[in-house]
Amino acid sequence: MRAVVLLPVTPEGTSMKPRSLDRPTRTRSRRTAALGAVAVLSLLASACGSDSPSVDTTPVTEAAAEAPAETTAAPAETTPAETTLGATETTAAAKAADGGSITVAIVDNPTMKDIQTLTPDNFTKTTGIKVNYVSLNEQTLREQVTKSVGSGAAQYDVVMIGPYEAPQFGANGWLQDLTAMAAADTAYDVNDLIPAVKGALSNNGKMFAVPFYAESSFLMYRKDLADAAGVTIPEAPTWDEVAAAAKKLKTADMAGICLRGKPGWGDLGASLGTVVNTFGGTWWDANADGSIGKAQVNTGGFKDAFNFYAQLLKDAGEPDAANASFNECLKLMQDSKAAMWYDATVAAGILESADSPIKGKLAYALAPTKETKASGWLWSWALAMPAGTKNTDAAWKYMSWATSKDYIKLSATLPGGWAGIPPGSRTSTYAIPEYLAAAPAFAPLTLKAMLAAPIDNPGTTKRPGLPGVQYVGVPEFADIGTRCTQELSAAIAGTQSNDEALNKCQDIAAEASS
Amino acid sequence: MTAAPASATRTLGTTDATRRALVRKQAWGRRAPLLPALIFTVVVTQLPFVLTIWYSLNRWDFLKPGSFKFTWLSNYTKPFGDKFFREAALHTIVIVVGTVLIGTALGTLLAMLLDRKFVGQGFVRTLLITPFLIMPVAASLIWRHAFLDATYGFVNWLLSLVGASPVAFTTRHPLAAVVGVLVWQWTPFMMLIILAGLQGQSGEVLEAARVDGASAGQTFRSITLPHLRPYMELGALLGSIYLIQTFDTVDQLAGGAPGARNIPYFIYQRSIGGGWKFGQASAYGVVVVFATIVIANLALRLISSLLEDQ
Repeated sequence: MRAVVLLPVTPEGTSMKPRSLDRPTRTRSRRTAALGAVAVLSLLASACGSDSPSVDTTPVTEAAAEAPAETTAAPAETTPAETTLGATETTAAAKAADGGSITVAIVDNPTMKDIQTLTPDNFTKTTGIKVNYVSLNEQTLREQVTKSVGSGAAQYDVVMIGPYEAPQFGANGWLQDLTAMAAADTAYDVNDLIPAVKGALSNNGKMFAVPFYAESSFLMYRKDLADAAGVTIPEAPTWDEVAAAAKKLKTADMAGICLRGKPGWGDLGASLGTVVNTFGGTWWDANADGSIGKAQVNTGGFKDAFNFYAQLLKDAGEPDAANASFNECLKLMQDSKAAMWYDATVAAGILESADSPIKGKLAYALAPTKETKASGWLWSWALAMPAGTKNTDAAWKYMSWATSKDYIKLSATLPGGWAGIPPGSRTSTYAIPEYLAAAPAFAPLTLKAMLAAPIDNPGTTKRPGLPGVQYVGVPEFADIGTRCTQELSAAIAGTQSNDEALNKCQDIAAEASS
Repeated sequence: MTAAPASATRTLGTTDATRRALVRKQAWGRRAPLLPALIFTVVVTQLPFVLTIWYSLNRWDFLKPGSFKFTWLSNYTKPFGDKFFREAALHTIVIVVGTVLIGTALGTLLAMLLDRKFVGQGFVRTLLITPFLIMPVAASLIWRHAFLDATYGFVNWLLSLVGASPVAFTTRHPLAAVVGVLVWQWTPFMMLIILAGLQGQSGEVLEAARVDGASAGQTFRSITLPHLRPYMELGALLGSIYLIQTFDTVDQLAGGAPGARNIPYFIYQRSIGGGWKFGQASAYGVVVVFATIVIANLALRLISSLLEDQ
C-alpha cells in the first residue's frame, strides 16, 4: 500500500547513473520508483519472514522459542485474571514480610488457572513469597523446561512435568531429590500420595516430583442413549464390546465413539498406546540390559491394535478424527455429537460440572481391555525443582502448599466447586464426603482406575527403559512417538494406507534400536 | 602473464607507492565508520553459523548428558540417505514452486485490475494487500479453525449449502491446504511488484500499439508480458527465499502432517521439537543454508541486472 502511494512523490533523477537518451524521462523515473517500491517490499517481507522461528542455528531458535512463549502465556481470556493477580500480589506482598520470589513454569489449563488465582491471597499472604507464573501450552512447556533444566539454567525455581520426564530428568541429575524434604515435612503426609503416581514420579526410590493432579483413562458414555438403544456396557468392558456398542449408537449426526487421532505422543500416542498394550503389542522389545531392542511396530499386537483403532474410527468415529484430541472430543460430547468417549478421567469432572449440558446423563466404565486385565494410562502434572535453583526452601514451601490436602480443600471454594478440584493425587481426596457427594458417578471409578493402572507391567512383554503405560520410558520415545503418530494420523485421515504408515513408523522406531 | 604487472609496478617507483598508501588510508577512513555495524552483523549472523557448523560435526544428544562427541562428517551422510528428509525436500519444492507459480499468476491478474482507474480503487487495493500483512501463525490458525475445519469451518458450511459432504482439508489434503493458504498470503506480494512494473510501462508504446491496430490480447502478449518478465522473476525469487523457510503454516495449519512436512519443520523436529539431536539437526540446517545461498545469489544477480538496465 505504502509502496504504491510513494510512486508519484518520488523525485525524478534519484538514480545515480546518467540518463539514457532513447527513453522518455518520466517512464524511467517511474521505473526507479518501482525499484524503490520493490526495495521497501523486500524489507517488509524480511520483517514478516522473521516472524517464523528460524531453525538454522541453536542460538536463534532459543530466541525464537522464547518470544512465542511469552505470547502464548497471555491469551485474551487470561489477561484480566493475570492483571488482578498482579494487583493483589502487590498488596499481599506489602502486607507480608518479604520472603523473596520464585518463578514457576506451569501448563496452561483450567486447573492451573485456579492456582494462579488462589496464590496471592493465600500462599503469598502467609509466607511472603511472591510467585511469578509462566504459563505455557504443553508443547512449548516441554521445549522450554527441557532446554532450561537440561542446560542447568536457574531460569525456573519450580517446573511442571509429568511421569515421562520426572524419572529420566532425575536420572540425568537435572532435578533435586525431593524424598528427604517431603519426609521431613510431617504436615505434608507424603504417604497419602497415591502410590502408583508417586512411583511413576520416582526413580530408584528417589522422588523427583510431587503430583498436582493425576489421571488415568476410562470410558465415558451417554447412559440415556445406551438405554434407548438397548446397549449395556459392563464396568470392565472389552474393546470388542465397546466397538459393537459404538456401531449401534452411531447415527447420522452422532459419532458412536470419540477417540484421539491428532498426532503427538501425548495425544494419539496416549490413547493408541493403551490399546496397543492390551492387544499384546509393544513399540520395542527390551534387550536383556533394559535397552531398546528390535522395533515391533508393523507386526503382531501393534499392527492389530492400530488396524482395530483405525477401523473403529472409520466405522463409528468422529468426523475428521485425525484432527481430534481431548479438547475436540470434549466439545463433541458437550454438543451431543458423540455417544462415547475414551479419554482421561479428568474429563468427567468437566462433563459433570454444573453448567454442562449433558450433566447427569453419563455413565462410566474402566478402560477397555483385550488380552490384559487393565489398560488405563497413568499421567500426572507434577511439580519438580530443577537442580540449578537457588531458592530451595521457598520452592519447596510452594510445592508442598500446591500439592497439599489443604490446597485441595481451598480449591473447592472456587466457582467450579468440589467437582473441579485437582483429582487423583491423594488417597484422602477420595474420603472427602463433599467430593464424593459432588462426583458420585465418577470419583470412585477414577480411584479404581488409578489403582488399576498397570504401570509396572502394561502389556504382555517386557518393555525397555523406565516404567510407563501409554509411553515408553526412554528419552528417544517422545520424538519417535510424535513422528510415528504423524504417520498413523495420516493413515486415519486416509492420505496413506495403514500398512504404509506402520512400515514408515517401523523405520522411525528402528532408528532407536540397539 | 603474472610477470608483466609485477615489473610494471617496480618501474613506477616510490611516488606511486606513496599514492597507493594515501588511497588506502582514504579507503579506511571511509570504511571505519561502517566497522561497528559490520562487526555487529558478523557477531549476530556469522558466529552462530560457525557454531552451527561446529555442532554439525559432533554427535550431540541433549537428553543424554555426556553424549557430545566429535564425529567428523558422519552427520552429513544421513541427509542424503534419509527418505523422510528427501520427502521433506520434495514438499519444500512443491510448496515453493506451487505458491510462486499460482501466486504470480493471480498476482498478475489482480495487478492488471488495479492498474485501471475505478471507484474505490484505494479501498480494494488495501483489502487485497491485507493477507500479506497478517502474521503467518495467526493466518494459519484462522484458516485451520474458522475456515477449513470439517465440523465447524466456513468452507465446509459453504460446501454443505450445495449438498457436498464435508472435506477434512487440513488432514486429508495437507499439502494442498498449505499451498492454498500460502498463495492467499503471498499473492499480494507478487501483485505489488507486478503492479509497480505495470505502472512503469511506457504509455507511448501502448498507444503506438493501439494505433497500429493491435488487439488487447496481442498488446498484453507482445508488449506488457515481456516488460513484466523481470518483475515477475524478481517476485518469484524473493518469494522463493522466504517461502523456502515456511514453518508456521506447516506446523499450525497442517500440524506437521507427513504429507506437508517440509525441511524447516523437519529440522525443528530433529532439534527442539522433540528430537533434541542438535548435532544431526545442525547438519541438516547447514545443507539447507547452502541450498538457500544458491537461490539467494540468483535473486541478487537478477536485482543487479535490473539496476543495470537503468
